[in-house]
Amino acid sequence: MFEILQHTADVRLRVRAATLEDLFRDAMRGMFAIAGFEIRDSGFVKARVAIDSVDLTSLLVDFLNAVLSRAQIEHVAFDDVTLKRLTETEIAAQLIGRPAQFTQDIKAVTYHEADVRFVSGEWETMLVFDI
Amino acid sequence: MDARHFEKISDVLWEIPKSHRPDMRVPARVYATEAMLSSIVSDRSIEQLINVATLPGIRKYALAMPDVHEGYGFPIGGVAAVDSTHGVISPGGIGYDINCGVRLLRSRATGDELQPILAKLTHSIAREVPSGVGRGGSVRLKADELDRVLRDGAARAVEMGYGDEGDLARIESRGTLPGADAKLVSDDARGRGSDQLGTLGSGNHFIEIDRVAVVFDVDEAARLGIARDGIVIQIHTGSRGLGHQVATDYLRLMTKAMAKHGIRVPDRELACVPFRSSEGQRYFGAMAAAANFAFANRQLITAGIRRAWKRELPDDAIEIVYDVAHNVAKIERYEDVGEVVVHRKGATRAFPGQPVLIPGSMGTASYLLVGEQKAMRETFGSTCHGAGRVMSRTKARTEINANELRERLRDMGIIAEAGSAKGLVEEAPEAYKDIDAVIDVVARAGIAKKVARFVPLAVIKG
Repeated sequence: MFEILQHTADVRLRVRAATLEDLFRDAMRGMFAIAGFEIRDSGFVKARVAIDSVDLTSLLVDFLNAVLSRAQIEHVAFDDVTLKRLTETEIAAQLIGRPAQFTQDIKAVTYHEADVRFVSGEWETMLVFDI
Repeated sequence: MDARHFEKISDVLWEIPKSHRPDMRVPARVYATEAMLSSIVSDRSIEQLINVATLPGIRKYALAMPDVHEGYGFPIGGVAAVDSTHGVISPGGIGYDINCGVRLLRSRATGDELQPILAKLTHSIAREVPSGVGRGGSVRLKADELDRVLRDGAARAVEMGYGDEGDLARIESRGTLPGADAKLVSDDARGRGSDQLGTLGSGNHFIEIDRVAVVFDVDEAARLGIARDGIVIQIHTGSRGLGHQVATDYLRLMTKAMAKHGIRVPDRELACVPFRSSEGQRYFGAMAAAANFAFANRQLITAGIRRAWKRELPDDAIEIVYDVAHNVAKIERYEDVGEVVVHRKGATRAFPGQPVLIPGSMGTASYLLVGEQKAMRETFGSTCHGAGRVMSRTKARTEINANELRERLRDMGIIAEAGSAKGLVEEAPEAYKDIDAVIDVVARAGIAKKVARFVPLAVIKG
């Protein structure tokens, strides 16, 4: 589950999920909800992302930035992710999306306010996008 | 944090002493009036400035300009000079839009001459200069051609036929930052920027045709070819997707490398490494390359404006007044601290006599300033960069009606050519601070001098 919130200069996203896998998936879907897009083609596009980071919070931010790069270079809105591997510091995933035209430019996913935590039975974090 | 934590240095300068927090290495200083200060403390910009004051090697003070607002790691409107031998470099001190900056052009036409063709001219410029989310341009560079742009910046754009040698003399660092290394720019960064040279982008980036409404300093204005009722054009954009990716790539690299260098920072976005380290030098080389891409970008946009202008006003000629970066790190030398890496994030270099370009929001005003000697002693030759946002984009979209805004601008005699209603309302005048108040502070502080005030006639936005 994600919720888009206000930020003076940019956009905040609050993400909550029962599992870590869902947190990564919902954060990615939230990012594309912020980017806004129009599907240009009915075909599906697949892409792979494999990265490592220093901790879980960095891993989520770095993963989203990797997805953002693929999306902007290939003009694809990804709406699903199959996780091949997910640890505290590593992720390998296959992304599935469609060719799209974005309506909001996202410069980057920032580490600002990001803090992946397991609280009261669910995973949560805030994310701030530089737009 | 509230106004009581500040010690008053003058009516427009306030200081949080080093003793405020044990990890501060230098005091934090804010240029603002007392009234502005109460607004500034309402977000986290001062907390961020205090975090900047903890950076290894920072000299004298962490500085905030009167347009300061909350950013990532550094506040936007922040300046930090870090010892080049023993200090660090932090991508957060430059920002994601490397060498976002402003170029000011001047026309020989007067407002009266321009008025009958203004709408057509504005539309013509909008057709010549692609703008909007993800919009690519007509220039597609092969890898080796992109390398030359990354290495030589505006100079390469001139070699490609977009302008002449005379243009380069009127660009900060002649449009080429030394030390740029194209090899350090990733394939992803190249992928995001490969078709974006000569494009404006979206967000707060714009082209604006302005009338010179007030000349404060006739001699300085004459030196820069500016006269009352004259026509100037502003270009505000940066290094586009290429620069965003360079920042992302190296922030990630530094986050990993900090432990190796034994560095801890209070905010992940302040990730940094010693400037002289391999990682520090690699970032500096990639940042300079992205900055050069931005200088070339503004050069190609200038060429597009010149083409449109030539069609509508064949006897006129467009010349560059100046081009300044407001998101960049540069090696500079100061008498009291020696060689430092000056991080300016949402802050403009303001060396004595150097033109400084401060855009306001559409519907208000913009300023041409020149730097003052006092800036070299107090602010590492720096001043503000704009009005500074006060309203979120979401709130602007909910509270401002695009048609009403267009009407309001039209009543003010301003033509708005925007790619989307969303892009227009997000940048409405009420979303920004009062530019006049911001400029008054830097003028009263003696770090920059007012030369001229511009009012908009036409705005082109993505």
